[in-house]
Amino acid sequence: MKILIVEDEIELLIAVSNYLTREKYICEMAESFQKAVEKLSVYEYDVILLDITLPDGNGLDLIKLIKQYNLPAGLIILSAKDSLDDKINGLDLGADDYLTKPFQLSELNSRIKAVLRRRKYDGTTLIKFNEITVNTDSKEVKVNNKPIRLTKKEYDMLLYFIINKNRVLTKEAIAEHLWDDNIDLADNFDFIYTHLNNLRRKIKSKNGNNYIQTIYGMGYKFTDQ
Amino acid sequence: MKFLSKINLQYLVTLTVLLIFTAAAGYLVLQKILKSEMREDIFEKEYAIIQEIKTSGILPNIYPIIETKKIDKSRMEAKSYKELYLNDEAEGEKEPYLEYTNTVLINGQYYLIKIRHSLLENDDLLLAIALPLLLLLVLIFIISFLVTSRLNKTVWRDFETNLKQIERFSFGNKQPLKLKKSNIEEFDRLNKTINQLTKKLQSDYQSLKEFTENASHEIQTPLSIILLNLEEMLQQDLPKDTFKRVIVTINSVKRLSALNKSLLLLSKIENKQFEAKSRLNLTELLLVKLDEFKPLLEKNNISVDVVRSGDFQVDINAQLAEVLINNLLSNAIKHNVSNGKILIDVNASGLKICNTGRKTMLTNQTIFNRFTKENSQSYGLGLAIVKQICVAHSLQINYGFTDVHCFEVKVV
Repeated sequence: MKILIVEDEIELLIAVSNYLTREKYICEMAESFQKAVEKLSVYEYDVILLDITLPDGNGLDLIKLIKQYNLPAGLIILSAKDSLDDKINGLDLGADDYLTKPFQLSELNSRIKAVLRRRKYDGTTLIKFNEITVNTDSKEVKVNNKPIRLTKKEYDMLLYFIINKNRVLTKEAIAEHLWDDNIDLADNFDFIYTHLNNLRRKIKSKNGNNYIQTIYGMGYKFTDQ
Repeated sequence: MKFLSKINLQYLVTLTVLLIFTAAAGYLVLQKILKSEMREDIFEKEYAIIQEIKTSGILPNIYPIIETKKIDKSRMEAKSYKELYLNDEAEGEKEPYLEYTNTVLINGQYYLIKIRHSLLENDDLLLAIALPLLLLLVLIFIISFLVTSRLNKTVWRDFETNLKQIERFSFGNKQPLKLKKSNIEEFDRLNKTINQLTKKLQSDYQSLKEFTENASHEIQTPLSIILLNLEEMLQQDLPKDTFKRVIVTINSVKRLSALNKSLLLLSKIENKQFEAKSRLNLTELLLVKLDEFKPLLEKNNISVDVVRSGDFQVDINAQLAEVLINNLLSNAIKHNVSNGKILIDVNASGLKICNTGRKTMLTNQTIFNRFTKENSQSYGLGLAIVKQICVAHSLQINYGFTDVHCFEVKVV
């Protein structure tokens, strides 16, 4: 999977790129509108991460350009503006998703995967992790080929875990992912325990392993190592 | 009161006073002239009577104007004037007369002569003077009214148009004020000044707005970098102590970012930057949000009672409506007790969200202020934002405590 990151803040660009490279994506970086246009005219990308406030141009114009040339890439806007108007504008122009800064890498990965799934780049809608299979089309989950019934929150949580496997996730990050955008959670993150325990129990009921490790009671890691 | 009406009123008051003085002066002068004319007339008559008696010896008597009679010396009367009322047979009412009495000696015989002259009644005189003046006053009034309405249609029309424009003017609107030229020096000077002022205001407002927004956005980028790096640190094998510190730092960075967003939202609401409004059903929105909050409610074992007796429809920006309901609901959950209750009463004119919680009333004055917080976990901005959203949409928000804490939003 090839990703173009358009972001004028070099530190941010490098941090995102390093992370995505480790996640087995091929990353290219563009730190300006002009650079992005150059890259887009030469290469094809599967996903473009786009900051809309660039020093030499508006990211929204880049979206128009991408749509004008019918480039097949999925588009995720990374914006410091938490404004509904910008979000609507961006999505209207054809962006697939809108992520507000500051974001977490696990969340970014999860959004990229969702865009890829929607665009069916993988050719398959099945995500596998050992004995667990998730069909992202029908939202069915099977453990050892036996279906389990998950609630929407449990399903979202499992998918988030698998996509961010082997990665330490804080309970806040998980809660924020499960939660709809605007809700002020303050410090009420503990409610995810219920979902977490239900998920563990349901996987175990079909003789699945407990891959959810708790780290010092503050973070979680979905891993088989 | 309109400018022209005010001027007209001043004119009329001055004119009325002036006319009253004129009338009074006219009355006095006229009375004086009439009296002296009357005396001259009386003397002429007296002279004629004396001549008549001298030549023919006939005593002329025409009641009530002339009365003459022979008298003894003992009954002589001195020369005098007096005013008296006499019955007037023709008109059947008492009329005022000036009576002149004199005793003359003609050929050794005393004669008493009384000459009376009908006096013009005082009120008749007054009327004779006041009526034309009153007529004049009414005439002036009508003319000034006509002139005013004509001026209103011509000279003041442009002024009115400009005034309406200024009343509609909003800083948020980027269009400059376009005032009509009127060719009246004072008005054009005023227009020029207003144009300059609004241009300056608009540019100041714009730069302030941009500064707030830019500052706020610029803060988000370094926060992103901090957050990404901390998240990457978390992936290494860290001892518990360090792990905990990283998590605490991550959460603080997130709080800082959320605080920044809240402040930006607050200033955007205060600057009236949310213009797009549509009619929204807050009852529906409340129920949808309540569903989203379910996990939090379940976790704290909070029960919710909803009394829905109508749809609360408000012209409100969609994003702000969501923030409003979110903040009120999360407030009711955050400050609740476990196994507590939330009571929601929503009808066509408002919504009321009550929650169990601390048994004491919160300070009504400060509760909607910024950074008023009950515990260190909140930023103290939630209710300040709620208040500003209400103010921006002409809604009223009240807090009350009767065993439960209640927040009520209603149409003013």
